[in-house]
This record gives sequence, structure tokens and C-alpha cells, in this order.
Amino acid sequence: MKRLSVTLTLVCLLSIPVLAHHSFAAEYDGKKPVSISGVVTKIEWTNPHVYLTVDSSNESGRVTTMVVEGHPPNILRRTGWTRDILKINDAVSITGWASKDGSNRMAGREVTFPDGKKLFLGPPAE
Amino acid sequence: MKLIRATVFAVVSLTAYGQTPAPAKTEKGSTLPRSFDGKPDLTGIWQAFGVALFGETGELRPGQGTRSSWGPPVGPAPYRTELEGKVAELASDNRRDPNVRCKMAGVPRITGSVVPLEIIQTPKKVAILYESGHAFRSIPVDGKPHPSDLDPSYMGHSTGRWEGDTFVVDVVGFNNITWLPGAGHFHSEALHVVERYTLQPDSTIYYEATMEDPVVFTKPWAYRLILRHPPRDERIMESDCTENNQDLEHIVPSR
Repeated sequence: MKRLSVTLTLVCLLSIPVLAHHSFAAEYDGKKPVSISGVVTKIEWTNPHVYLTVDSSNESGRVTTMVVEGHPPNILRRTGWTRDILKINDAVSITGWASKDGSNRMAGREVTFPDGKKLFLGPPAE
Repeated sequence: MKLIRATVFAVVSLTAYGQTPAPAKTEKGSTLPRSFDGKPDLTGIWQAFGVALFGETGELRPGQGTRSSWGPPVGPAPYRTELEGKVAELASDNRRDPNVRCKMAGVPRITGSVVPLEIIQTPKKVAILYESGHAFRSIPVDGKPHPSDLDPSYMGHSTGRWEGDTFVVDVVGFNNITWLPGAGHFHSEALHVVERYTLQPDSTIYYEATMEDPVVFTKPWAYRLILRHPPRDERIMESDCTENNQDLEHIVPSR
């Protein structure tokens, strides 16, 4: 029965237009993957999205500030996050996709924590 | 599961009866969990299949699984030809989606939300509490018709009845602000939805909603989902979409 459930889950993930807050493609470009590493400077544990602000610096020391969008808190809580799992000044790496409007924003997919732990932050690209 | 069942009974006890409920009966030949009045017991937390497993197993990848006879929408939405352009226009700009504007999602779209709902079933009334948009429905099961003086609303007015083991809900009285499932799927105030909740022996609900709207559709349209219990965290939570909605200013229309 467990196998049947998993199979049905797979089927429906492919076929059901799930109601998320907005369409991924309306705001982000699934063909433009982005990876950043930096320091968390702001954590917005809010609805309809959690936002992490991360300052990353390149070799020349230039700092870029990126706002990373994730699932709402209720979904993150159900996938292993807690409100205080991240702290200001934590060093993280985040993968995801670039925004379409050219701003320093990205859709976050996976966060690597200071201890190496990885958790999904947001949905896969459409 | 025992704990869940106990919790469910506790909720029913506290909210509806104030006394210890009788244990669920199982009719001969049926493996469905049943309420003390013999009806299939829909009480509990439910979520559209494929949604609750985010992160649980590293998520599910395209290309896995096979088609099911239950699940996909039953054909494309049958819009009147002269309205297809409007559907396309609405679909091309995600800012037009009432859900992006934090409106309650309406019926049946809300049933497919990424966050769960809770059903509390009693013989005379069934309540559905949605995590999405703080929406709720209080559904009388008393055989009375819809009131004749309804003001249009996001979630409509519902009346429930049992057809065998299927809970059938008739919904009217909608506003024309919400969308049906699918991008750009607007409707009129003439929308009439009939929902069917059929509990399955594997503790899932086959959910079907038939939508009739003679103003926008040429024929009725059906939408199907499988609802299941989330794998953990068996409670619905608060979710105030207006709290920090930054999306409207960053969405880029596709046209």
C-alpha cells in the first residue's frame, strides 16, 4: 500500500495544478540557475513567503546583497525547518534560480547550513 | 494513527457533543472507518496528493509514476469560444490571479492548496477549515435548500447530503472574483459546484468537483484530486498571506 501511495503521489504531482501563492515562472527563470554563498543578514519568517537576505562577497571584496524567496513558514515547518534554525551572521550556501525582473532576488531551492546540513527552501523550477 | 484518531475524537467530543464518543463502527464487508452514525468518517487533516511530501524524500521528479484514472482534470475547461481570449489574457499576467492578491481561493480551487484543510464531521453539520486564506465552510446536512437571499461570496454557500458512502456538497452564491483550478479560469456569479468526497479503504478521499457556469462554460467541467493525510504535523496552522506579500511588484507578465 505504501508503494501504491508513493506512486499515486508521483502521478498527481505531475498532473495537478497545485495552488501555490504564485506561478514560479511569473517571477523566476528556471533556465537561469544561481548559486550563492554568503552571510545571512536578514530573516523574514513571513507569509506568503520566507525571505532570506544574504550578503555574498567576491574575490575583490565586492559585496552583493541577494533576497532569497522560499516556501511559506507552514511548509518549511513541515519539511524540517524551525523559525530559529538560521541565525543572523550564519554562513550559508543557497542554490536556486534568478529573478526575471533583473533585481537581486532569487527563488531559493536548497540551503546548506553552517554544519553542512541541507534543506529545501522552495519548490523546484517549473 | 492511533494518536490521530484519538485527537480527532477529542476534537469532535469537545466541539460537538461534550461527552465521550462511541468507538467507530465498521460495517460488515467494509473497511472504511465510520463515525458513530454509520457514515464514513471524513474527520481529520487532509491535503491534495503530491503536496504534503515536500522535502520528505527529496521530492518527486518528473518522469516518475504512471497516469492514474483519478487525479487529472477531466479535459480542458470548456469556455465559450468568445471568452478564450480573456482566459489567455488573465493567464499571461500572474498579478491578475486573485490568489497572488491573497484572496480566499474559492471552491473547488482551495481544495488543491499547497497547505492542508481539516474536516470536522458531525451528523448535522460538517465544517471544513482551510489553512489557505483562513477560509472556512460550515455545511449543514439537514435537507434544507440554499437561502434565497445570498450575497455573493468567495466560498459560496454549501449544503451537504450523503449519497450512500459519498458526502455530496452543493455550492452556490459565489462572487466572480475567485478563479477555478487553472490559470486564468475566471467564472461568473452563476457558478454552481457539486463536490463529492468519497472515503477510500486506504484512508484517502477521492474528491471530485463538477462546475457548471452557463455564463462562461458550454458544458459542465470536472476537477479531481486525491486527498490524503499529511505524513506528519497533523494540525492546521495560521497563514496570513497579507503579512509580507512582495510578489505583486516583482511578477513579470509573459505577454
